[in-house]
Amino acid sequence: MKTRSFASGCAAVCCALAVALPGRTAAAIDDQQFNELKEMINKLGQKVEKQDQRIEQLEKTHAQDSQVHEQDQKTHEQDQQRIQELEKKLGETQRTVSDVQEKATMGVPAEPLPRMPLDEATVNHNFSILGDAEVQYAKTSGQHGTFLFADFAPIFLYRGGEKVLFEAGFDFILQNNAPASSGRTTTVNLSFAQLNYLMNDYVTLSAGNLLLPLGTYSERTAGWLNKIPDDPLPRALLPGSGVGAELRGAVPLGEMGKMLNYSVWGVNGPSSADGTGNAGALDLGGNVGLRLDNAVANLHGNPSGGARVGLFMPFKPHYDVELGLSGQSGEWDDAGQHTWSAAVADASLHLGSSFEVKGEYMRSWYGSDDGGVVHPEGWWVQAGYKLAGLNLDWPFINNVELVNRYDTVHDGLGLKTRRYTVGYIYYISNTLLFEGDYEFLHSNDPGEKDRLVFQLSYGF
Amino acid sequence: MKSINPIGPFKSRLRTALSLAVVAAALVPLAPATAAEDKGETTSKTEKPAEQRGAADTSKAKPKAAPKKLTGAELYSMHCNRCHPERYPTERTAAQWKTILLHMRVRANLPAEQSRTILKYLQDNSGR
Repeated sequence: MKTRSFASGCAAVCCALAVALPGRTAAAIDDQQFNELKEMINKLGQKVEKQDQRIEQLEKTHAQDSQVHEQDQKTHEQDQQRIQELEKKLGETQRTVSDVQEKATMGVPAEPLPRMPLDEATVNHNFSILGDAEVQYAKTSGQHGTFLFADFAPIFLYRGGEKVLFEAGFDFILQNNAPASSGRTTTVNLSFAQLNYLMNDYVTLSAGNLLLPLGTYSERTAGWLNKIPDDPLPRALLPGSGVGAELRGAVPLGEMGKMLNYSVWGVNGPSSADGTGNAGALDLGGNVGLRLDNAVANLHGNPSGGARVGLFMPFKPHYDVELGLSGQSGEWDDAGQHTWSAAVADASLHLGSSFEVKGEYMRSWYGSDDGGVVHPEGWWVQAGYKLAGLNLDWPFINNVELVNRYDTVHDGLGLKTRRYTVGYIYYISNTLLFEGDYEFLHSNDPGEKDRLVFQLSYGF
Repeated sequence: MKSINPIGPFKSRLRTALSLAVVAAALVPLAPATAAEDKGETTSKTEKPAEQRGAADTSKAKPKAAPKKLTGAELYSMHCNRCHPERYPTERTAAQWKTILLHMRVRANLPAEQSRTILKYLQDNSGR
């Protein structure tokens, strides 16, 4: 403003001078004065021009400032609008919360709800049932074919905390009554019933009616786990279970799954069926400690002791070898004059998920009153191949496993039997199996003949 | 004492033929599989030095790599399939698997640590 006033002032002075000075006055001014005046007026003009330029710049700056101010105003208005919206939403949320709180207050009972028990603590989850069921159809050479039996073999498990497990296995079998008598008989066998206490990572104490690890068949292969419906013949030379106590466990060897496993046990051991020491009276399955007359007593003086040690060596999943040695020895006759002993070597081999071979060799020896020392002996080897290993894209083929087995037994009393079995398993599912086998039997017992067996097995 | 019945020639031939068929069926597919695995191992063995050819001298000085610890799935596959077809983890609840693994630890003489690793795998993938 000052600059503009100054410029206006100068212009006014010039005009005043031009108007006020008369012609004669002008005539009185010499050239020099005129030139000076002219120069002064030129300078004033230039000054005015500069001031005008400056005024223009200032006006531009002012216009820009005004634009920025307008934008700031707009932004401010938008912020104000947003704040108003958020405040509105906050108000709605607070109303909702207060409504919920009000409803919750109306619905909450006076007493707090009791805590729901954890799954771990509930009885139902500690109790499990496993097992298997089978139905067989058999046709023995020279006899009528028949549905042989229906077998139901549940295993009851009860876990008491982290370290206690009780397990019991039963076998319910339906059979015809004896010839010339009507009706049928349902037999129930207690296959095993044992209480296990995990003492630490390497030792487990088991007590009760124990499955004996003489070889691995009794513990790991019997029932539907076996790929062939019948037990191997030489398993008749060994007791499947015994009443007593056992220490067992496993020690890992490295990080790749290799391990050493062991079992040491003491059981009542075999006994005499008629109390004598005659060789034919050997009873491998008796002597459970409680007689029919309710007397509690071992049938002979001393129990039997046994042990097994096994080495499991995996190369990678599905490729492994296990080798085991086991044995048991103890008195068997009531007089305690004779001992029964057995040694078993077991082996299993897996080459891929499709191929396996397993077998056992067993030999026992026992003294007797009438036959001296008797030497029963036998072995079996079994192979299975799942056709899924052929990688054929054919229907049904991938569910088939071919199996075969050779087993032989000599009871030491003159009975010799050899058997060769070929067959298949059709896996309807991973737990429902339809098996078919033909057994070629060669024995000096005329009752032993070739047999065709079909079995439907279900493991649960 | 009765002697063992002589084996009929027809039965003998039939038995031999069946045995051979089963053994052949078992071994023939195994051979290529094994060969393929061997080849795979050989290839990997030859590929590694090729990749590390430039650092051949330094690789000699490197310590041997520690073996990989087996996973729960691998241990499950390794141990359980020895005796029975594998069960799907979803077939049982987490609590049921705990009871069953205790049973299997005793029955199959499984090492405690491996048993726990298998249990974790089964519980992580259990039906509930």
